[in-house]
Order: sequence, then C-alpha cells, then structure tokens
Amino acid sequence: MKLSHVNYIVLLIILVTGVFTFWGAANDKMMQLYIGVATAVSYVIWGIIYHTLEGDLHPKVVIEYCLVGMVAIVLMLTILWT
Amino acid sequence: MTPSHLVFLRVTRYDNDMEHFLRHFFVPHSSNNHHAKALHLDSMLCYVLIFAIFNFGIRIMHREFPNVLGYATDIRVDQLLSGTNSQRQALGLAPLTYNVTLSKAAALKAQDMFAHNYWAHNSPEGKTPWTFIQQAGYAYTVAGENLAKNFSTSQGVIDAWMASPTHKDNIVKPSYRDIGFAIVNGVLGGEETTLVVQMFGAGEAIANQEPVKTVVTEQAAITEVSPESSRLGEQTAKAVEEQVTPPVSIIPISAVQPTPIVNVLSTMFSSVSQKPMINIPTVTRDVAFLFMGLLIGVLIIDGIVISKKKIARVTGHNLAHILFFTAFFIALSIVRRGVLL
Repeated sequence: MKLSHVNYIVLLIILVTGVFTFWGAANDKMMQLYIGVATAVSYVIWGIIYHTLEGDLHPKVVIEYCLVGMVAIVLMLTILWT
Repeated sequence: MTPSHLVFLRVTRYDNDMEHFLRHFFVPHSSNNHHAKALHLDSMLCYVLIFAIFNFGIRIMHREFPNVLGYATDIRVDQLLSGTNSQRQALGLAPLTYNVTLSKAAALKAQDMFAHNYWAHNSPEGKTPWTFIQQAGYAYTVAGENLAKNFSTSQGVIDAWMASPTHKDNIVKPSYRDIGFAIVNGVLGGEETTLVVQMFGAGEAIANQEPVKTVVTEQAAITEVSPESSRLGEQTAKAVEEQVTPPVSIIPISAVQPTPIVNVLSTMFSSVSQKPMINIPTVTRDVAFLFMGLLIGVLIIDGIVISKKKIARVTGHNLAHILFFTAFFIALSIVRRGVLL
C-alpha cells in the first residue's frame, strides 16, 4: 500500500471520528466547539506530516492548511453561535 | 457605427469581463498562477475576516433591531399540553391535567436558572427540581422534570423530547397525573434563550379530588414506589425524575389550590411568540452552507483542471481539503438550535 494511501486512511479516521463525536455531543454546543477545533487542529497537523513525508513541505502549504482550518472553525461558529 | 452597435459592444465587453472574472476566481488559469483565486491564501484570509464580521454584525443588528433580525419562536403551553397528551393517548395512557401549581414551580425554576445563569436540573446552590415543586405548594408522591431551550416551535420541543429515551420516559410515565409548564425568554450563558420547563407530578391530595382516575393512579403509584425510591441517587440523570414517600402530613386540598399570585406567575410564562422579519438561524445556516458548498465546488474544479493539465504547484492537496470541508458540512448539517436536558 502506498504511503499516501495510508495517510489518507489516517485522515479519514480523523474526520469520521470528528463527525461522530460531534454528533454525540448534540446537546452540548461548547463540547461541539471543542471537537470542531480539535478536528481542525488535527487536520493541520496531518497536513504538515503528510507534506513532510512527501518531501514538499513549504511555509505556504502550512499557512494554507492553517487558513483552511480557520475557515472551517469560523463557519462552525457561524452556525453554532448565531 | 450605430448606437445599437455600441450597446452590443458594451454588453459583449461586459460579458467578457464577467467571464474573465469568473475564470480568474474559480478556475486555475495563467491569470491566477494556475490556482483558482478563490483558493489563494489572501482569499482564505478574507473569508475568515468576512465571516467574523458577519457574525459580529448579526449580533449587533439583533441587539439594535430585534424585530428585524431575531429568532422566530412560537411556543405555547396549550400546544405543549395537547402534544404531550396526544403522545400519551397514542400509547393508551390517561392524559395529564394542566396544574397551575406545577406551572408555578416550573416558572420558579426557569426564573432561578436565568437569575443564577445555569443550564442544569440542579442549581449551583444545590436546589433540585423538587425544591421548586415544594416551594410552589404542590404535595407530590412522584414528580419529574424535562427541560428544553432554543426550540422554535412547540411541536419541535415535543418531537425532540419523544426522540430522547429519558425525556420520553417522563412524558409516557403512567403514574403522573398533573403537568405544568413555563416558557420564558431571557439571557442564559450570554445567549438569548427561550427556555421550556415541563414539570410532572402526582399527589395524594390531588388524586383524591378525582375519584374516576383514582384506582388507576393509585395502583400505578403503589406499584412504582419501591423501584423509584431506590433510584433517588440518580437525580443527575438527563431527564430527572423522583419518587418519595408521601409527606408525613398530607397537605389539605385547599393548600394546593392555586392562589391568585400562582395564577399570575403561571400565566406570565405561558407562551413565547416572536416573529422577526429575518430569522437568524435560517440566514446563518443558508449563508454558511452555501459558502461551504461553493468552496467544495471550487476545490473540485481546481483539482480536476490541475490534474488534467498535469501542472505542478506548491499548495495543499485539494482532495484533503474537500474531505475536510465535507466532514464539517456533514457534522454541521445536524446542528439544531434546540437543546434538551
């Protein structure tokens, strides 16, 4: 199995876990917020590790993953807190 | 060149400009360094700032113009009562009787929650639901409480309670005879909140008032005293219920009759109805999901074009971003404003 396949399986595990724990905390918005932030942070870390292993890590890539995570968090805040 | 030709040229020029703009923004092209402008780092940063301003703007607008931008709510005691009783009757159970004293207890509980800013069955000071029931003057042998906040309709509250096993247990418990409600608007945890308190009960003194139902109620109460009493330690469970041995001195019927003050309090909290011009949850959900869908769409187009043209570039992986945003889309799609306890 290719390394990138393994990495994507890890990513899927992170995201599926995030979705199900988010659903499990349906009556606790603060917990949902924590789970969402944890999933976004995990995604950024996954992205950095993935590109490091692929040998194409660049500061721009790190910023991109951080911004993608921030966009997701701000969208989550929009739905959870307004 | 005739004026009609000039108009045609201007429209064509406009169409070309629009086409260029859309291609520049959504499709990887030499004009955007083969990376859709919508996915550039500065664009991403703009989205974060725009949504942050949008969220603050909504809050400020809501505070200044609540009738224009607010939370559409229509929850009424009569609807909650009929909804609860129809669920009971569907299972062959006797309907519950609306009780003003239990409604006062529910109102006292709601007021205490707003005053001490908590969302729990037991207050930070250690007050249990039974404290308020006793304070209101309802002599109970069995009692229970369901809580809900931020639902927009009465049916929404009933449906959510019935979907939750612990709350449903309270609604379809055969030993209950009376029910009371309080629906109160206020600020809880810094958030505008519509709180619904539903209290159930059955009392010896009240049971004696209606001989028709006495046999059924008393049988149910007798058969459930022991197991319920043994579960007193479970009061912190999600849908709290409690059964205690009857008080040493039975409160006379006159003592539990509603007083004028009780009536006023229970009437004050019998409904919350708000119809703003723009419903905040609808607007925010529509905007957020539309944006997420658009972003996923641009990522897909960008990924396909780059893959076909076999262009190498220093960016993150579109497939990973698509999976990430799709996961958030799925997770957030089940978020409902209403919460139970």
